[in-house]
Amino acid sequence: MAPPTETNAGQLPGARFIDPNILGRIGNLELVARWVVEGFISGLHRSPHLGFSTDFAEYRPYVPGDDIRHIDWRVYARTERYYLKEFEADTNTNFIVLMDTSASMGYKHERLSKLEYAKYLAACLTYFSHRQRDRVGFVSFNDDIQDLVPPSARHLQQVLHAIDRAKPEGKGALARPLSRIAEHQRRKGMYLLLSDLYEPVDAVVSALGALRDAGHDVMVMQILDSAERTFPFEDATTFRDVETGLRVPVIPGKLRKEYLAAMAAHTEAMGRRLGEHRVDYALVDTSQPLDQMLFEYLVRRERMRTVR
Amino acid sequence: MTPLALLAPIFMAAAGAVLIPLLVHLVHKEKKEALAFPSLMFVRKTPYPFSSRQRIRDWLLFLARCAVITLVAFAFARPVFARRPAAAVAGEGGYEVVVLLDRSFSMQYSTRWTRAQEEARKAIDAIGPGDQLTVVAFDRRAAAVTEPGNVKAILKAGVDSLKPGDESTRLSPAIALATRMLSQSERPNRRLVVISDYQRTSWDLTDELSLPPRTEVVPIDVSGAVTDRSVRAVEVRRSPEGPARVQVSARITKLGAAERGVTARLEVGGRIIAQGTTDLPGDGGAVVSLGTVPVPDRPTPAKIVLEGDELRGDDTFHFVLTRAPVMPVLVVEHRDAPPERGVFLTRALEIGDAPGFDLVARRSDRVTASDLQGRRVVILADAGVPGGLGGAGLEAFVRSGGGLINVLGERTSERSWPANARALLPGNISAPADRLGQRGAVLGVVDQGHPALSVFSGARNGDLSAARFFRYRAIDTTEGVLARFDDGSAALTEHTIGKGRVLTWGSSFDGYWNDLPRQPVFLPFVHQLVRYAGAYREQRRSWSVGDALQPGDLAGVAATEGGRWSVIAPSGARQAVGGADAPPSLELRQAGIYEVRPSGAPNAEPRIVAANVDPAELDFATYDVLRLTNALTPAVTGATATAGDGLPTLAEREQKQSLWWYILAVAAIILAVEGLLARRASTNRLEPV
Repeated sequence: MAPPTETNAGQLPGARFIDPNILGRIGNLELVARWVVEGFISGLHRSPHLGFSTDFAEYRPYVPGDDIRHIDWRVYARTERYYLKEFEADTNTNFIVLMDTSASMGYKHERLSKLEYAKYLAACLTYFSHRQRDRVGFVSFNDDIQDLVPPSARHLQQVLHAIDRAKPEGKGALARPLSRIAEHQRRKGMYLLLSDLYEPVDAVVSALGALRDAGHDVMVMQILDSAERTFPFEDATTFRDVETGLRVPVIPGKLRKEYLAAMAAHTEAMGRRLGEHRVDYALVDTSQPLDQMLFEYLVRRERMRTVR
Repeated sequence: MTPLALLAPIFMAAAGAVLIPLLVHLVHKEKKEALAFPSLMFVRKTPYPFSSRQRIRDWLLFLARCAVITLVAFAFARPVFARRPAAAVAGEGGYEVVVLLDRSFSMQYSTRWTRAQEEARKAIDAIGPGDQLTVVAFDRRAAAVTEPGNVKAILKAGVDSLKPGDESTRLSPAIALATRMLSQSERPNRRLVVISDYQRTSWDLTDELSLPPRTEVVPIDVSGAVTDRSVRAVEVRRSPEGPARVQVSARITKLGAAERGVTARLEVGGRIIAQGTTDLPGDGGAVVSLGTVPVPDRPTPAKIVLEGDELRGDDTFHFVLTRAPVMPVLVVEHRDAPPERGVFLTRALEIGDAPGFDLVARRSDRVTASDLQGRRVVILADAGVPGGLGGAGLEAFVRSGGGLINVLGERTSERSWPANARALLPGNISAPADRLGQRGAVLGVVDQGHPALSVFSGARNGDLSAARFFRYRAIDTTEGVLARFDDGSAALTEHTIGKGRVLTWGSSFDGYWNDLPRQPVFLPFVHQLVRYAGAYREQRRSWSVGDALQPGDLAGVAATEGGRWSVIAPSGARQAVGGADAPPSLELRQAGIYEVRPSGAPNAEPRIVAANVDPAELDFATYDVLRLTNALTPAVTGATATAGDGLPTLAEREQKQSLWWYILAVAAIILAVEGLLARRASTNRLEPV
């Protein structure tokens, strides 16, 4: 495998970002996540570990050489045997990725589809969170839940596998799957929604309301292909909605201005309305480097912790 | 006027490719290639503006593309500006035109002849005031039907007077005649029009044919698909019921689809006496048996007749129905020879069929001079010259044309031929040579080119050297040796006495001195020796149109005195053959029955000759007329290309004009314009309306 090339995106001074198209050649999600995250962390100047506590894991018999300071003397008092108390890694919170796998997420204008980008993003952030001792979970959905991995500190592999096998299909609708998730997930956690959000803003806000009302932290990343944002089409042709199959004759040159205005209004309204409901919102272009999104995530997580 | 001609018009079929841009255009117009898009939430319907302006642009493109394809096809068809065929152009001189009109038998098929005459009339109509045209009819030979001229009525009358005959086709004589005519013409322009069905058999590709320089060849092919039944051969075999009856069968072929229940009739002397039915496979043949029929006492005309089709001439096969030929043979055996010694020879001669052998066997002490009466051949089987025959009598028999075969054995020696019969031996005869200790001798040299042994000349016709000879008598002669043993001594010799032939065989036919009678070659060997000694000449039951024969050869087994003959052809025409002012032989030019009588004896019994169409003429396979054109048109050389030597041929003109180059250039320009138009149309389509 040829060494990946890196690009200076320019948005964040000093950061070196990796072209998503390069990641598309790697294929192995865990490898991508490990590579992106470790590279990203090595560039940080402070520890990314943000844990607050330690959890007991198990006892094990003492063997010569062990630090006697870790011997649990209360157990010795009961059993007259030396046992060492071992602790699980520091655990912060539940981190659950909600990934839209409707057919529209399968769209790609060039090399990387929105779903593929979302997969890399989900894998990287899951790996990143796991590295921070968070419990990681995953839910894929279109108009209903398709796949679910409950949050756990040991579910990294399951999550990565679930991400990997997600396929774009069906119509997308947020309300039903998000309400079901809110019903079943009692423990507070952080939810990251990856979707193209092709729904009216009110419907999105309403759907996310269920999670927000349950006390979860929610962050939304609206993933769009650059073609959806710039509408670069030239030839007059018929557009087909990949979810509904609806066909509409379009002359792009004539429609472009109107389309871009509608799309800008939609994303602007989405950011504003979600902000009003204390939902973090970020617009992601599939041409953006992944590690840049890690920065976005880190900044927002810091902000959430501060606010909390 | 300079009409446009095409050297390779078949390429114009490629002009049909103009349908491709039409289809592309239509398909493109109707096709709605949908672009998948995640959501049409913000996409509003904006219908295509099908304005008349855009349609006009597309039609321009379409027409440009059609024009390119048509021009390319046209260029490949090698167009050339050609003058009208035989039209005189002022200042260039007239045309010398020769029209070769095929009138062979195959032209009788369906409407071929009608079309051929029509084409000939068209060629006549096309000549101009300064032109001169000659109509030449040809089959196996060629002959001018009209004098070179310009009067169309006369020329057309010449064409109308023709009709196809029964002869086969040969193009070479016709081309040779046309070449002579064209070469002798002083007109600068020459044209050869060949109207034929172009049978493959009509032209031997090795024929060196060439026309005068700058002669235009206009081949006109009137052939077409052929469906035809024909009787190809008749076989008459001796019947086991006796010499007065024969078994008749006919081979029928079918060109075209298979046919069931085809009936063949045997007509003898105008009466139907038998018929048979068979199924004919497609493009194949079958044999139909007509059973055993009685044979008239004298040769009688007979024919096999099929139901008529579009070519009636080959539905009838004429032949002469006669009794199977018989050759009378006298076999003389030694008086002391055990009876079984002669069994091989007599059995072998009893099997003969063509001819059959009328065999009489006598002991040497019982044979008399009267036994020679009516015999054609005498075989002295290890018997020497019997006293009953006498040397002089036997020699006289041979001298008068009879055949003698001396077979040497243990009971014969030189003394067996008395002094007055020594002429019947080719030379001295030695004592028996014993080769038993060497596992026998073999024939070392066999003159397979000799008629007596030519039957073995074929690759699989038998091997005389397979026979082993344990004892033999060497014949001391150097003349007429037809075969030698492996020690060089003569084994078979021939010498003539008067009109007769004498063959001497140095070993026996009884199986004691050799194993020849047990070899497969024995039967044909003996038959052929007897036929040769008796000067047997096979009497053909039928001949092919085009064959030439000597009427004197028709009489019977032996040749007769030649003379003048009167012949009545199937058409009823009379002709004389032989003599000072008549052709020496009878050339068969019509299918049917010829009657041949000695001249001056109109009431004499006629000798019958049956003639049928040459089988080669029934091969309807054709060849590409382009091959003929190429063969007849000499290559352009510097010497022949000079002006004033007549106009160049069509190919030369095409080469000189090179219209194809200009057409391709125009096509390229249109293609470039088409590219610009297409780009412009595409750009316009992308602009918002």
